[in-house]
Amino acid sequence: MGVAIRDLLADCKETLTWDDLSGIAALDAHNALYQFLSIIRQPDGTPLMNGAGRITSHLSGILFRTVNFLEKGVRPVFVFDGKPPEFKQETINERREHRARADEAWKTALREGDMEEAYKQASASARIDSHIIASSRELLDLLGIPWVQAPSEGEAQAAYMVRRGTAAYAVSQDYDSLLFGSPVLVRNLTVSGRRKTRGRTITVSPERIVLSSLLDRLGVTREQLVEIGILVGTDFNPGIRGVGGKTALKIVRNGEFEGVIAEKQPDFDPAPVREFFLDPPVTDDYALEWRTPDVEGVVEMLSSRYDFSEERVRSALAKVSVKATQKTLDAWF
Amino acid sequence: MLKATIDAEIFRESIDAIAALVTECRLHTAEDQIRTRSVDTANVAMVSLELQSTAFNSFSATVGELGLDIAKLKNIIGMMGKGDALTLTLLDEERKLELSFGGYRYSISLLDVNTIRKDPNPPGIDLPGKAVVPGDALNNAIKAAAVISDKIALGIDPDAMTFYMEAEGDTDHIKLALGEDELVALNPVQARSLFSIDYLKDMGRVMARADEVEVYLGIDHPVRFVFDIADGNGRVEYLLAPRIEAD
Repeated sequence: MGVAIRDLLADCKETLTWDDLSGIAALDAHNALYQFLSIIRQPDGTPLMNGAGRITSHLSGILFRTVNFLEKGVRPVFVFDGKPPEFKQETINERREHRARADEAWKTALREGDMEEAYKQASASARIDSHIIASSRELLDLLGIPWVQAPSEGEAQAAYMVRRGTAAYAVSQDYDSLLFGSPVLVRNLTVSGRRKTRGRTITVSPERIVLSSLLDRLGVTREQLVEIGILVGTDFNPGIRGVGGKTALKIVRNGEFEGVIAEKQPDFDPAPVREFFLDPPVTDDYALEWRTPDVEGVVEMLSSRYDFSEERVRSALAKVSVKATQKTLDAWF
Repeated sequence: MLKATIDAEIFRESIDAIAALVTECRLHTAEDQIRTRSVDTANVAMVSLELQSTAFNSFSATVGELGLDIAKLKNIIGMMGKGDALTLTLLDEERKLELSFGGYRYSISLLDVNTIRKDPNPPGIDLPGKAVVPGDALNNAIKAAAVISDKIALGIDPDAMTFYMEAEGDTDHIKLALGEDELVALNPVQARSLFSIDYLKDMGRVMARADEVEVYLGIDHPVRFVFDIADGNGRVEYLLAPRIEAD
């Protein structure tokens, strides 16, 4: 999901090592949680659950990824979505239907014993509900990891924090961050490492896209990049059928954006969507502080309530507790 | 625009001061100075450096911003001889910086400033305790503490009128207290904070060359070190976040 401009970005992606990534990372929380929920599953697609049937895939992802981040010198801040803009409703409805269909297909595949299909459909049926959000925030608080409530889209807030210099880069699998003006976007951070897809194990490495280099290479402004996004379709508008990244780039470069929209989608007014990307609701109301993890609190939550192995939880936390005694300057800026 | 000539030793001193914390930085040029303010990747320490035009043999610059690869510069500096005059020329169109000295002419690519973290705001911290310490005494104490521990407490004891450094190893303990005789000046306000020696070692090597280092302290607060470089034509400031006393 997000904006489909992948074909324009091929030459702008730099593969990174973890050493390049130390610093403050503003994570699109919903995107990260969705990744955890899709990927962290049993072979038949069943998510990790506790004895009471509550999903725990996201908690596993947060714990082990966060520990990994801290060990590598990455200081994550999770940015949660707020109220979606009205024009996102169509996308939200579509996603809901898509998940419901995937849920049905998963059950069918299980009945038929097709494990590969079951895993695929189960991944697509992953949904983020209020339990997922509340338990994620509780765990982040216990881990001493800051999170920010965005007034609207999390990616817009993350992009703003990078522009302000609060964070070094935004983290998301979607490219929308670039349309929201994040100077640097890092992908594959929440999914990197060895990973199984369709029975094959592949290695996924973090990759970076620098907005200024992308705009230079395409020869467009950020405003024009937003227009390209609107033509191919974003979370806020369906786009024009048959127009992909390259065609959209041509249209925008030729200054034909308004004309093409007027011709193909006469009922669609692109102004609110454009405005939303260029000047989205964001907030300065956040404080970033990484505290020492509350080890007993994490153990109580994950082991007592969510049936995680206490030994695994403690050994994961031991890796970061030494480093956590070092304060950062954030508290004083 | 930047075209300036400077004594290689002063340039080395300046780059070393920055390299103690970061491998890349945004360097701001202006009509009368160059300056940078950078935070290390872990957000634990900050370096600010200002070099006035008077530190240069000749200096001509306009307001601008350069992305410097400090690690690369440090390697090039190794090639410079004592007493060499170094000429820095910004090649605007190519986004390159040319360094010429002793017959060498290096042209190094500048980094895209957008990939370097923005300058942090000047932090507003009230650090009431102050001691002015000879730079080599400070560096020696850090080195002594490094033998037995990975952290060191810096503090001021207003009753004893001393600035002290104290480190606790698994079995060993070391304390150095400097009284009024050994200090250049002291503002005797109760202060004590714990710091990582890893960071202090790199800063200490740079501070060792300064006659006087102003040390500002509070209780469980960052420490600020301020000292002159380039015969008073430049100034360096380090800010280091404290560690929390472990149980």
